[in-house]
Amino acid sequence: MTTRFELDALYIEEGERSSALAARVIAGLPAGVAVRYVADGRVAARPAAGAADPFGAGKRRMIILRRRTPFVMACPAGASEFACCGYLIAALASNCPMDCGYCFLQEYLADNPGFQIYANYADLFGELDRIGRNAPARAIRVGTGELADSLAFDGLTGISRDLVDYFARREGLLLEFKTKTDEIENLLAIDPRGRTLVSWTLSPARVFAATEHRTAPPAARIAAALRVLEAGYKVAFHLDPIIAYEGASRDYLALLDNLFDTIDPGRIAFISMGGLRMTPGLRGAARRRFPRDPMLVGEEVMAPDGRMRAFTPLRVGLYEKLRERIKLADANLAAYLCMESPSVHRRVFGAAPPPPNALGARLAGS
Amino acid sequence: MNAERTDTAAIDAAIGAWAAERRLPETYRARWRALGEGDRAALYNVASALRLRTGQFVAAFDLIEELAVRADAPPATILARGEIRRILDGIGSAPGRARELLETLRAMRFPRLKVAAERIAAAVAALGLPAEIRVVLPRELGSDEVRVEISAHGGAQLERLIAEIAGHGAGLGKIAEMVGGAHSDDDEI
Repeated sequence: MTTRFELDALYIEEGERSSALAARVIAGLPAGVAVRYVADGRVAARPAAGAADPFGAGKRRMIILRRRTPFVMACPAGASEFACCGYLIAALASNCPMDCGYCFLQEYLADNPGFQIYANYADLFGELDRIGRNAPARAIRVGTGELADSLAFDGLTGISRDLVDYFARREGLLLEFKTKTDEIENLLAIDPRGRTLVSWTLSPARVFAATEHRTAPPAARIAAALRVLEAGYKVAFHLDPIIAYEGASRDYLALLDNLFDTIDPGRIAFISMGGLRMTPGLRGAARRRFPRDPMLVGEEVMAPDGRMRAFTPLRVGLYEKLRERIKLADANLAAYLCMESPSVHRRVFGAAPPPPNALGARLAGS
Repeated sequence: MNAERTDTAAIDAAIGAWAAERRLPETYRARWRALGEGDRAALYNVASALRLRTGQFVAAFDLIEELAVRADAPPATILARGEIRRILDGIGSAPGRARELLETLRAMRFPRLKVAAERIAAAVAALGLPAEIRVVLPRELGSDEVRVEISAHGGAQLERLIAEIAGHGAGLGKIAEMVGGAHSDDDEI
């Protein structure tokens, strides 16, 4: 495992003092990390007063608390103006110990940046049972990697074992772990029975080196993918965000070639693509935190959705090249765009995007 | 040593006076102060020589900072480039050169966008459409939406212009495809 994260402190909500999660985390906590008990973990998640970088400081403060609202939610990337994949989010944690310069959490979690993990995560299973009962014919894909990395700190929390075990016993539900780590040891010890997919965000070495701080190197991610594939998991990849720096097409095509050399494209469930997009607020926050990051000062302009994106011919041209390479590797390998308009989808794939449920079902059943 | 200290103090005093006179927001004053000595002075020389307004200075500062990150070079190096020196040493009016500076910085900051926009503009011009028909491209090529506007006075003129557009259907279609990403050159990516 190449990724190692550091903590300054662990906060545990009084009500979760005796939870199984708290016990596991305390048992595995490195020496020297202070453990504090607080009445309300949400207070500990607020930005640290006086910190030069409250968001960065929040990443080093793990908080075990009770989630007071439902775990399952619609993907925050979904909106009527985009071609969507019908993804559901299970919010088991909030924030992430890695620190990518482009990460949307810098804006999304600015007011509660503490790295929160919910002790009552097993309540998710009741919610999913109800969803399954209400939509018995629907194939549903549920991901845990939207507001946090799915596997970062899994060696400490062990949450993945319970999740894989639950999904292994449910038809019509597919669990997706989304990660930039190679923290897969827990996964290798369980049989997912085909109901868990592990997906990696992949970036060229240049993006990794410039902006994906504390993540596993791209080659380590691909190597980890091969190991979980051989252990019975489905695997998928997200080229997201695609950053259109000069020389990007060469680097992203080489990345795909490297991926297909290592993993048979016929065994990859899908590949998603999404160009870098930042609201002005996110861009400002990211530039303040990483003023020397060249990946944050590409040729992004304001798009109709209020986000800054690489100007259209540049972005679409890049998508087309990558789509061609994916098709060349395996014409049946599913690919889709994240947070792009139907018209961009038509340009890249030559057809209108399928409805979210249809695409979601295809990805969930793949 | 003392002379250097005096020069630095004089430049910083001039920067402070300029910023106060222009009511420059504190965030920009702080960023200016945080630059290296040569970078602070180079930026001051540009601001004072071209008599930049506050908004122009803010826009130029952002562009210069981002260019410096892209080039992995200090701001003074960006401002020493030939195309910028030519503006600073030019003989036109200060407001005119200030506008030119911003246009040049934008072109340097978005080089591939400039090339793509010029190529599409050339394709539009090559259609030879009458002045009453205007092809409106998306701002900074931020979307793939192309609009065609007709200005007509009377039914006969409108019919003639619509027929003109129909006659240029293929050419206009090609422009819409260019805006959407077709016919991109590799060097744009």
